[in-house]
Amino acid sequence: MWLILIKLAWRNIFRNKRRTIIAATAIGIGLAALIFVDALMIGMTENMVRTATASFLGDAQIHREGFRDAQEVSLTIQSLDEVTEGLAKENIVEHFTQRTLAPGMITSPANVSAIILVGVHPPTEQFLSQIDDVITEGVYFEGGSSRDVVIGAKLAEILEIGLGDRIVVTVAQAETGDLSQEMFRISGIYHFVGEEMNSGMAFVRIEKAQEMLAIGNEVHEIAVKFTSVAYAQDPTLPFWNAYSQHGNEALSWTELMSQLTAILEMTKYSKYIVGVILFFVVIFGIINTLFMSLYERMFEFGVLRAVGTRPFGMARVILFEAGALAIVSIGLGMVLGFLITAILNHTGIDYTGIEMVGVTIQEFIYPVMTVQQFIIYPVWLFIFTIIAGLYPARYAAKMSPAAAMRRSF
Amino acid sequence: MERTQKTDVIVTEGVTRVYEADGVPVNALNGIDLTIQSGEFTALVGPSGSGKTTFLNIISGLDTPTEGKVWLAGKVLSEMSGNELSDFRRDNIGFIFQAYNLIPVLTVEENVEYIMLLAGVPKAERHERVIAMLETVGLKGVANRTPTQLSGGQQQRVAIARAMVSEPQIILADEPTANLDSKTGADLLEMMRHLNEETGMTFIFSTHDPMVMESATRLITLRDGHVDTDETK
Repeated sequence: MWLILIKLAWRNIFRNKRRTIIAATAIGIGLAALIFVDALMIGMTENMVRTATASFLGDAQIHREGFRDAQEVSLTIQSLDEVTEGLAKENIVEHFTQRTLAPGMITSPANVSAIILVGVHPPTEQFLSQIDDVITEGVYFEGGSSRDVVIGAKLAEILEIGLGDRIVVTVAQAETGDLSQEMFRISGIYHFVGEEMNSGMAFVRIEKAQEMLAIGNEVHEIAVKFTSVAYAQDPTLPFWNAYSQHGNEALSWTELMSQLTAILEMTKYSKYIVGVILFFVVIFGIINTLFMSLYERMFEFGVLRAVGTRPFGMARVILFEAGALAIVSIGLGMVLGFLITAILNHTGIDYTGIEMVGVTIQEFIYPVMTVQQFIIYPVWLFIFTIIAGLYPARYAAKMSPAAAMRRSF
Repeated sequence: MERTQKTDVIVTEGVTRVYEADGVPVNALNGIDLTIQSGEFTALVGPSGSGKTTFLNIISGLDTPTEGKVWLAGKVLSEMSGNELSDFRRDNIGFIFQAYNLIPVLTVEENVEYIMLLAGVPKAERHERVIAMLETVGLKGVANRTPTQLSGGQQQRVAIARAMVSEPQIILADEPTANLDSKTGADLLEMMRHLNEETGMTFIFSTHDPMVMESATRLITLRDGHVDTDETK
């Protein structure tokens, strides 16, 4: 019995080929859009996280508690040797680097600007930040000079200076608060897409920064790169507790950039909202198609009822038609979704320069296809289609055979 | 298959049907009392709007009377649930429609076997009965064709095969010859008459066709929802 009803449904949806193709295409476009939006969101998230973590932040950072809020230069990491020895032994840590951070002033003959003076250890810093990759003029700490400074193109423009020019950096020393001034020579100029990195930072060797700040061998920040980005999003990782000792705190990028985390969470919800809207469009499309088909074949349905098909049997005919329409639509949608996503995955989408919650997209976004997109959404679509079919199915089940066949008996 | 003992297969008592048409009540049937016995070849005649269609709807359980009762094969139709009525129609009534009304997406064999599928008849038996019935109605070798590949007369033969294949007690035919040329109509009528005599099935026609009226063993004329004349030949 099921077989004949399935046969009936499958052949019926191809009776009006044009209508079925139009309806299936509309539904398929909905599914393709859903697959593509999901792939785009994954690509965008990965892109933003990569931009946020790889450009300077790292997957995780260790600071002295209170440093991030106060930016007080005396708040250096406690038990530094123990921490660095521990990090060197961690299997999940790929690289780490030490930094000093201090608010200061940078002065050129032409202008003055407020900056964060960052003391870096160039050999390890290159694994944690991309400054060395975006040098547009000069070099990234290649010589042995302790007076080399690397600044952003925007800051150079503000200060009206160029490569080889001299500038003076002023910072307050730890403990005493005495001002410390040093002259540096511009050895490199970089250009990041983001404004903040371009205009608000100056990089010097960590030894020189420690000397200026009078903090000995102490540092303010250790940036960590894990062997897998997933570790940073695992709050149960023992790493966080292990390095949140002795007054220090170890935080992942999700906590360090809580706004980005929130926006990514919101992005996930927007995806669901888009999904719900699309599914509603699909549902009404299906109900409309099924009703049109039902009204066209009213007499036939009357005949089926007259010859002994039970009301539930009639409902099954409609539900099978809904299912058949869903299968055709899913096939179309998956092919369409695959093609669109694959093409854009190859070409990429240019969102570079767009800034969101302090993260400036620096690379093309490449939508990421996953197997789940081609399982979960089609299954959802099938279920929704069957749910959508319930209304016309109920109508068919309750239809009076005499009314349906009013042309005859 | 032959039924020789005459029994009352359809009994109606005071059957009235009132429709609402634009808020105005219209009496389609006004207290019809009729008894139809097994094996009858009855023609229901009368002008358009006389209530023939409504009467056939009601005695087949496709519609319910506003007043009155219908017994079909000894059962009161109004006391049956929707599923019981469906099963009852499947097992006891065969329908032949004016416009054939075969399911166009099913083959001839699938159309004819549909009722047996509903009744859960095994596949091999279904196939055997379909082929035999198609032979009976003169349609050998068309089992795998679709209705659209057949002529009007052939389609009506398939409809007759569909109506008769499950060996129901009653065949209700709504102007079965109306869409056919007179030669084909006469052939089909002759075939139905033959099947009636051979199997003892009860045939009730609604018709305007003088040929059907002539061949009927009983002629019931309806007028304005009443039985005007009822003559047995």
